Amino acid sequence: MFSETAKKELEEIRLKYPNARAALLPALYLAQREFGWLSPEAYEAVSSLLGVPKAITRGVGTFYAMYKHKPMGRNIVQLCTNVSCMILGAERLVDFLKIKYGLEPGGTSPDGQFSLVIMECIGACGTAPAMLVNDDFYENLTEKYIEEILEKYK
Amino acid sequence: MIKVTINGKEIELEKAVTVLDAARSAGIKIPTLCYHEQLEKYGGCRLCLVEVEKMPRLQTACTLMVTDGMVVRTETETIANVRRSVLEFLLINHPLDCPYCDKAGECELQDLVEKYGARAGRFTEEKRKVPESLEDPVLVRNMERCVVCTRCVRMCEGVQGAAALGVISRGGHSHIEPFSGGKFECEYCGNCVSVCPVGAIMSRLHRHSYRPWQLVSETETICPYCGVGCTLVAQVRDDVIKRVVPRIGTPVNNGLLCSRGRFGYEFVGSKERLTSPLIRKKGVLEESTWEEAISLVAKRLGEIKAKHGSDAISGIASPRCTNEDNYVFQKFMRVTLGTNNIDSTARTGYAGAQAFIENIFGQGSTANLIPGLANSDAVLVAGGDPTAVNPILGLQIRACARRGGSILTIGHVKGLRHYSPVELRPALFRETLALEGIVSALKNKKGLPGSNQILEAKLKDINTTPQEAAGACGVTEKDYAAFVDRLSGAATPAIVIGKEIVQSSGGNYKLFLLAAINYLVNGRIYLLSERANEQGLLDMGCAPDLLPGYRPLAYAEFRKRYETAWKTAISERPGLSIFGMIDAAKQGSLKAMYVMGENPVYNLPNSRDVEAALQKVDFLVVQDIFLSETAKLADVVFPALSWSEKSGTFTNMERRIQRVRKAVSREGMEDWRIIAEIARNMASKFHYTGPEEVFAEICKVSPLYRDLTYEEIEKGQSIYPYKGEPLRSTLEGISVDKGTGAVAASRFYLRLERPLFHSGTLSRKAAALVNIYSGALARISAADAVSLGVKDGDVVRVSTKIGSLELPVAIDGAVEQSVVMLTNNFEGKGAFGLAEYAVDPVTGAPVIDCNAVMIEKVER
Repeated sequence: MFSETAKKELEEIRLKYPNARAALLPALYLAQREFGWLSPEAYEAVSSLLGVPKAITRGVGTFYAMYKHKPMGRNIVQLCTNVSCMILGAERLVDFLKIKYGLEPGGTSPDGQFSLVIMECIGACGTAPAMLVNDDFYENLTEKYIEEILEKYK
Repeated sequence: MIKVTINGKEIELEKAVTVLDAARSAGIKIPTLCYHEQLEKYGGCRLCLVEVEKMPRLQTACTLMVTDGMVVRTETETIANVRRSVLEFLLINHPLDCPYCDKAGECELQDLVEKYGARAGRFTEEKRKVPESLEDPVLVRNMERCVVCTRCVRMCEGVQGAAALGVISRGGHSHIEPFSGGKFECEYCGNCVSVCPVGAIMSRLHRHSYRPWQLVSETETICPYCGVGCTLVAQVRDDVIKRVVPRIGTPVNNGLLCSRGRFGYEFVGSKERLTSPLIRKKGVLEESTWEEAISLVAKRLGEIKAKHGSDAISGIASPRCTNEDNYVFQKFMRVTLGTNNIDSTARTGYAGAQAFIENIFGQGSTANLIPGLANSDAVLVAGGDPTAVNPILGLQIRACARRGGSILTIGHVKGLRHYSPVELRPALFRETLALEGIVSALKNKKGLPGSNQILEAKLKDINTTPQEAAGACGVTEKDYAAFVDRLSGAATPAIVIGKEIVQSSGGNYKLFLLAAINYLVNGRIYLLSERANEQGLLDMGCAPDLLPGYRPLAYAEFRKRYETAWKTAISERPGLSIFGMIDAAKQGSLKAMYVMGENPVYNLPNSRDVEAALQKVDFLVVQDIFLSETAKLADVVFPALSWSEKSGTFTNMERRIQRVRKAVSREGMEDWRIIAEIARNMASKFHYTGPEEVFAEICKVSPLYRDLTYEEIEKGQSIYPYKGEPLRSTLEGISVDKGTGAVAASRFYLRLERPLFHSGTLSRKAAALVNIYSGALARISAADAVSLGVKDGDVVRVSTKIGSLELPVAIDGAVEQSVVMLTNNFEGKGAFGLAEYAVDPVTGAPVIDCNAVMIEKVER
């Protein structure tokens, strides 16, 4: 369920838009934050709080790749493997994550701490390889640096 | 004037329409797939692409509006190539399983491919494999065949308003799904099935048992369920109704149906149908011949009439039977048996409410056109959920909301919850205060119009303050005032009144208040009607105080008119109401009862008491299509023909007369014919060869229907007041009985659920409807479930003073606190077995809202 603060946040979001449907995208982000992913319960909660039919809510959510439709780890690692990052060793970093943390692309580590999403270009080509952990940005990655970073999120 | 040239043909148009409409008006066909005349334009399938001079690219004809001087070509080589390519893309994933698909023969994709080609695509990749979804009891979803035209989604959301379907995912992964991914859990109107151009969403009823071209006969008739009177087309193979479909352009439903209409027809072919007359011999019902049963009934009724007098006999007419059946029945009661003891279950609300409203505003004041609701700028709903009781009427209210009209409700109306309703939710037994508040506020705001002195005199004493009224509804005065403002600001308001108001304590006073609101805002009233011919049977005179043509029995001149026509004296004593009959039976003064197509033992409140009463009647005759609870008590049972096996007319709640036509045949007699046979055996002259003759007599004797014929009805000239005379009466007074004012003293009260998927005891023999909603439930609010310590599915014992039932709990967000909602549709589990009633002194309706209930969890 939505926490009371999240409900309040949702109300504030709703007021920014002319109608309930227009508020769906931020509302679904909020639900994703609250539930970890867009589970059927998350959709139902958004639907009943906004008064938008369930099927419509789910139709909107499934259109966008940035909503998660399966349970995710507590932290989401989004690593770029596009041209610059790839040249500077991003693929080795993918292997490193697999060996060190058991983290497969699109999967979740066995301890539930991290999920790995492979990203296309996050606009950090000059300082590649780069990744996002949740909303935090990291660049010039090495295996050692990644280890240090992920330690902070455990 | 706009001039366009399409394929060299000059077309003149009054106003701008789409290129597609312009072409169609000139008889030029443009292929379409996502376009559907009932739906919003979409422009998604690209099949209607046309060349327009001076426009660089091909344009979609379904969305492009014509302009003066436009030159369009719809069939060129380029266009044919494009269409072939579009179809080739659609066939990438389509399984081409036409030999197995029920849609083959009426599939739009099949027809288009046949015309434009692309029989085999150049794609070598494997086709998408998605198993057919058979999780739903009524609908089957095949996403391999889907072409994602989104017609079903647009129908479900934009017209039906259920929004149960969505396009899930995107691009090549797009597919149509209900929220659950499996079961639809929707309103089951099946309108998605109607608009699906391919075999992606289909009905499971009679699946794989016919080909569209084998449905050799189809009959346009009227739905047997509610009082809206939708036209439906019964399609038949081998004398079995295989499916029921709507037709675009019909007056009330225009291409739409609800779950009952579309999926509820299977009772016709039920194995439980009665096949031969039954006579009780030594306490057991045994099969007999028609002759024996008819002569026995004639003899016994004759004896009882001679020994105890005419008024020891009574009759119950049927809102499921045609006008012709009901006319002959009341004539039999009045002429052959000589009594006005005739009534029906219309007495449980509709009849009394209509008489009350018509007394104030005149005859025909409730005969308002249903599609007109969509054009209102405000609709006030009180006493029920129109989207469940009269679904197609409910759609018009939703359409009104979509067009920007205000939806105002007294109480929570589940089916309108997505339509931004402005709600007043009065606490238990405080509705009166809420309504009085509205009347007082409107009076102050708008003043009295001065056209109805008698009504206005009665309004003088209504001075409920906004504080009191708002308090009764648990809202702020500001919110209360906002509700009233919406109502008073409306130019074309409509008031929709359901049975819950009529059957509540002080129901007549609440009706009066609603009538007062209607008067003050100059609105129009719609009375919800649960049965197909509830209005018709009243018009036919199946009421203790009415003669055919809705003429009061009390006036000697009307009696005289019918005495001349029928060549018999008519008793001037008004007869017993249906509740009066039950009381008379209990006291032993009623000796015989004739029940035509009704099940009073189940459909009247306090049904066990009714059962005991009918057991005391010396001679009980029942005509029905099933061995109902009432038929089981009878001395003689006649098997009747069902609605689809006979011809006649129904009159809907708009008072529109419509033709019921025979779709399938069955051995047996229509209700009117059985009665006419009995009458002839009692030396009455009842000589009719068919329903036309009965109708001709009705139109001859009744001033309301003067000179109307079946032909004229079929042409659509059948809207009230037809060619006849409505009754012109002057308002002499309004009698209102406020009652003592019930107060909430118990923890729980019984309320009746009127579900979308069921209707009386007919729908329980319709397999599809039973599959959708299969058993009785006790619906309670989430808060009450917590306080009772029960969860969904737990069994509880629901008891009142007169009985108890064990039922599974269903937690329902739409149920108010302190209320338990039960249905009255399932065998042995009827809410009316628990409900005591008192008769409203003005409307004659049963008051059933005071039944205190105990709920306890049954430990297993």
